[in-house]
Amino acid sequence: MTNRISITRRLVVTVLMLELLSAVALIGAMTVHEREVQLRAFDASLMAGAEALMGAVQDAEDAADNVMLDMRGVQLPQDATFLVEDEKGRILGTAGDPPHLEASASDAPVFRNVDASRRYRFVVLRGLRIIDPGQANGGAHHTITVVYGTRTGHMWHEVVEAIRFFAIATLVLMGATALLMAWLVRRGLAPVYELAREAEHISGKDWRFDDWRFDAPASAKNTVELQPLAAALEAALERVQRSFEQQKRFMNDAAHELKTDVAIVKSSLQLLSMNRRTVEEYIRGLATSVEDFTRLEMTVQKMLTLARLEQPSDRNNSGAPRPSSSLCGVMEDAVSQCTPLAKLKAITVIFDFNDDARVAIDSRDALLLCSNILLNALQHSPNGGAIQISLTVNEQVARLTVQDRGEGISERDLLHVFEPFYRGDPSRSRKSGGTGLGLSICKAICESAGGSIEIANSSTGGALVTVKLPATRAESPLIPQPSASFKA
Amino acid sequence: MRVLLIEDEQRLAENIVAALRETGLAVDHAADGEAGSYLAEQGVYDAVVLDLMLPGKSGQRVLHDLRRKKLHTPVLILTAQEGKDSVISLLNAGADDYLGKPFDLGELLARIKALIRRAQGVSTPALAIADLTLNSVQQTVSRRGQRVDLSPTEYRILEYLMHRPRAVVSQQELLEHLYDFDWEHHSNVIEAHVSNLRRKLNQAGTEPLIETLRHRGYRLRGDGNAP
Repeated sequence: MTNRISITRRLVVTVLMLELLSAVALIGAMTVHEREVQLRAFDASLMAGAEALMGAVQDAEDAADNVMLDMRGVQLPQDATFLVEDEKGRILGTAGDPPHLEASASDAPVFRNVDASRRYRFVVLRGLRIIDPGQANGGAHHTITVVYGTRTGHMWHEVVEAIRFFAIATLVLMGATALLMAWLVRRGLAPVYELAREAEHISGKDWRFDDWRFDAPASAKNTVELQPLAAALEAALERVQRSFEQQKRFMNDAAHELKTDVAIVKSSLQLLSMNRRTVEEYIRGLATSVEDFTRLEMTVQKMLTLARLEQPSDRNNSGAPRPSSSLCGVMEDAVSQCTPLAKLKAITVIFDFNDDARVAIDSRDALLLCSNILLNALQHSPNGGAIQISLTVNEQVARLTVQDRGEGISERDLLHVFEPFYRGDPSRSRKSGGTGLGLSICKAICESAGGSIEIANSSTGGALVTVKLPATRAESPLIPQPSASFKA
Repeated sequence: MRVLLIEDEQRLAENIVAALRETGLAVDHAADGEAGSYLAEQGVYDAVVLDLMLPGKSGQRVLHDLRRKKLHTPVLILTAQEGKDSVISLLNAGADDYLGKPFDLGELLARIKALIRRAQGVSTPALAIADLTLNSVQQTVSRRGQRVDLSPTEYRILEYLMHRPRAVVSQQELLEHLYDFDWEHHSNVIEAHVSNLRRKLNQAGTEPLIETLRHRGYRLRGDGNAP
């Protein structure tokens, strides 16, 4: 369960984190704003209190035209603290224990926070009171200073309350969003689950049906993000199926081939043991059986060769020197090997070697390659025909061509000639000889050496096999004459 | 009895033909589907051994065409193909038996003979008509418990007649069913063989079993416990 990642969880957590961040930022901004609003309201009420006190300063009705504080009709909060004094420092009235605070020079009201045992906010208001303004001297002028404060606790409580309400609302909303989002994301990911479910149903049984194709659900195909995955899955499965089918075909063909050969051997021996026979009959029968066995052996050997060649080559990793052989020399050997058959069919083999090339194939495989191509050409040549072999080396590529004058290859067969056991006839008639593995072996040899082999119909009729192999020009041509022609 | 083998694999065909001939059957061999189909549709064969993978015309098509022409010759399929499905579809298409390669030659022969017997309406290799018994596996004939030595051709004529008791069998029919194309044959050969057979079967105090009907053929008298 370690390292498991859930896209749903990830999306939900990401969105919630973002939500949380914005909520925190919002609460911060709101706190500042709320505090500002509350403070302004608080100050306004302070001012109102101070103004009321100022209004309560009355004429004392004495000779010195002093003033007094008349608290009748003045409503102040219980926790209010104030100090009213005149310009001579005479305290007109006080409540609580207000600190001594200086008024500003410009007579504008001044707000101060004071931390005593309780937190207070004060306003210092200075105003002018004129007693008896109707008198000749213009009345007595008194500068009154009011220091008025109330506890701020209530204001802060309001701010905290507002923040708490907002925070709780945010939390509730986030919880609801998380649930809703989890559901929505799961719903949004439904095509993924559907694709997975469809893919889960793929089993080996499906391969049995040749026309079976993996079809991704439409929901996955219509999802922009899933479409590449669905397409890749379909393509990959199709490739796997194709190679699976190819393997199956090869297995079937190989089994057919081996069974036929075994059937021949078995029936030869059983025929021989059916009745009592003369010594001559036994000798003849045994000789035939050995021939039949040889054919079986050849089939097996070719299959093993093909299997060996199709193995990923490991000789590059081993310390052994890379094998190499001279194409010219090998072709000569192949021609001499095929001479009996060529003679039998009176076929002329024409060499046209201007160069020699060394290719990175061991001499045994190189001989197999050359003789298979040559045998194929001989088998498809009419009696008295000719086969032309040529070799050129150009820019590190050896180009070997073998051309016969036979009937050529049909368009249909051109696509399949390199497939194992393909004989250009569904019946796999052995009349033309061979097991149908020759060209497959050639292809495997060429490909393991990094080259290629192609077959085509030449313009002059007959088949043209072209082998291209990476090569180095040999130091000295093995054939003294640049062009040799002989009647094989 | 005459069997047609349709098999493109030359060596295998040689072996099967040789084995079938050694068991006393006349055999013709066709190496491709076209020729095989043509021969099979002549209707002279008592059994057909058919390979599936044939050049020219596939075994399935040969079988299909044969059945479409309302020919009921027993067909044994011989193939190296795998799979129950193909067996089922072949049997449904009118094949009578099936043998996979590599097969046992003895089993192939036994199956062919069983097919021939069943097509003739007999289920065991031992045939008996009146006091005459014939074992088609051991290829022995005896009358009243006494062994009768017959030449291969005589045996084959008798076997054919015993499969059709009381029926008139023409010389032409005998020729068609007893000889393959490799034999030089004329109707007077049959006449000679039948007269030899009649002589060998005749024992003192018994009535002749094979009747000759002029211009019509021969008939095996199947009185009593005919099958």
